[in-house]
Amino acid sequence: MTNQLLEDRSATGPTAGASRAADGGTPPKKRRRASWLHRDETVGAWILLAPYTILFLVAAAIPIGYAFVISMQKAPTLVNPKSGFGGFDSFATVIGDYRFWSTFVNIFTLMAIWLPIMIIGIVALALLIHASPGRFGGAMRFIYYIPGALGGIANFVLWVYLIDPVNSPIAFLWQGIGASTYKEVITPGNMPFILTAMLFFQGVGTWIVVVNGGLNGISDEVMEAARLDGANAWQLAWHVKLPLIRPWVGYAALMNLAYGFQLFLEPYLLRQISSGSVVAEWAPTQLGYAFAFTNRNFPAAAALSIILLVITLAIGLVIVTRSGLFGDDRVPRIKKKDRTA
Amino acid sequence: MTRLTPEPRVVGSSKWNPGRVARIVVMSVIAAAFLLPIIGFIALAFGSQENIEAGRSGFLGLAGMSWDNIVYSWNQITGFGPGNGGLFQQWMLNSVIVAVGGAALALIAAVPAGYAFARLRFRFRKTFLMATLLAMVMPNTVLVIPIFLEVSAVNAVGQLWPVAVIMGFFPFGVYLSYIHFMTTMPHELVEAARIDGLSEIRTFFLIGLPISKQAIALVAFFSFVANWTNFFLPLALLTSSQQNKTISIGIQELIGASPLFNATVAAGLDVKLYLPQLALATVISMIPLLVMFIGAQRFLVRGQTIGAVKG
Repeated sequence: MTNQLLEDRSATGPTAGASRAADGGTPPKKRRRASWLHRDETVGAWILLAPYTILFLVAAAIPIGYAFVISMQKAPTLVNPKSGFGGFDSFATVIGDYRFWSTFVNIFTLMAIWLPIMIIGIVALALLIHASPGRFGGAMRFIYYIPGALGGIANFVLWVYLIDPVNSPIAFLWQGIGASTYKEVITPGNMPFILTAMLFFQGVGTWIVVVNGGLNGISDEVMEAARLDGANAWQLAWHVKLPLIRPWVGYAALMNLAYGFQLFLEPYLLRQISSGSVVAEWAPTQLGYAFAFTNRNFPAAAALSIILLVITLAIGLVIVTRSGLFGDDRVPRIKKKDRTA
Repeated sequence: MTRLTPEPRVVGSSKWNPGRVARIVVMSVIAAAFLLPIIGFIALAFGSQENIEAGRSGFLGLAGMSWDNIVYSWNQITGFGPGNGGLFQQWMLNSVIVAVGGAALALIAAVPAGYAFARLRFRFRKTFLMATLLAMVMPNTVLVIPIFLEVSAVNAVGQLWPVAVIMGFFPFGVYLSYIHFMTTMPHELVEAARIDGLSEIRTFFLIGLPISKQAIALVAFFSFVANWTNFFLPLALLTSSQQNKTISIGIQELIGASPLFNATVAAGLDVKLYLPQLALATVISMIPLLVMFIGAQRFLVRGQTIGAVKG
């Protein structure tokens, strides 16, 4: 239906414009025509953008604006159920909450362990795959990718099976640390390591594909030149390939950093199977969830969302403007053909 | 090491040296570490709790597999819910509805938007494109609480349609089609259409759209996968209605009803949900993704370098 509407409108477009141009008199005919063309282009662009613009407003702009408005309200209490303007009170509530800083300490602890392993793993595996042309490299890349395809809850249930201290194929690990129940495996101290394993297993494959895309963009001439200069495979990887894929590595690091701040599913579900041995508000998003659904303190939930939004937006800005992958009007430096495919 | 020679490489060349052996061994060991848990997990879906407890399942549970176990587990999963159960099928159906609905909306919005960003000049183009890129790189769970507040303001919490609408916002799809039109549709083609008197919208529908099969397939695939695996959004919007849950948060409810993790809840149920049942539910929940993957495969191979930027 929309298409038909758009078509109808476009059908009347040019003729209407032409008549306007015709009765517009003589003087700067050329400029008038140009401006008409440009206006037509603008109108056309916004008609084509209309569905996306509506969704952008509904799913991003309005919720953000609304969350800001809500965060400026007073939280209703039992004594005073009416809310009103509260200024930055909710932000003070959130930052003053005893759980607020601990959620960030948790996330930073996790990142200190997970990010270096993740980045080294991504780069090392991508370089190994790139050094293995042909079927073997392709097959390996596919296998590394499979856990990523599971995604979300499926990956989690897989880990419920792996964490099982009795029947898991890696049960010896858990028994090695003296754990015989889920509760004893999932402890606050083990959380960063379990999460690191889960996130690495799930995420590394997709990022290998990304970095591999960067590696495939290195021109054959560069590689040939290095080889003629007598570089061996190791030198080639370290001195030639690595510096050239820095933008992709930086992109991966920042995207994973931003991802860390929004971690929810894994700590949320680990709490569920830990019989309460880890806190319900381990990550900042879980604290936001608790504000909204346990305390029904919407202003505080909104305020925390805004805080997280500002952090991830800042990281996002760095990615978009500094990574060099999203240059203005430039197609990202991605090669069209894939060598190892 | 095999590439020291400037001559064209011979795949599977007979030159074996320590470097090459080490590389292949390391990569194979890592591949095994990725594959074995998944094989064990699928075997678990074919297993039974009795065999596992008795230690009769063998290596990775491969010895304990049987079709009877699947039938038993299927009856347990589908028996979950009030009355005669059936919640599992309902959740799968709900997931199909929101994932397909969201992907359809994403397509309707993203393809023309990507074209406009790539080939038309208008005010705020740069700003809007920038906002789109930002929305794309930002993790989507950050917006879930604000979206919940919005949906709750219009009293639509617990219904499926707001979930599908929100999923329709897919900036990565816009970026994909933007890149698609930047690379496949030359400016000259748009100019030629203008000279021929085609309006901008007709140019899109008559020239842009017919060459966009690749972009359409990629946007549909990535959007469907993202919608299907989305957890936090349905959790915030649909938890209040058991009938309207999607499969991702439904599986969470199954975990919560397992005697392994909540003996009190599990004691009140007719069905027993141990790990084999949870694994089967998970494996079944992945089938639609597998179908989509096979369907989109030929487009993915060609488009993976574009898709690579999002990961």
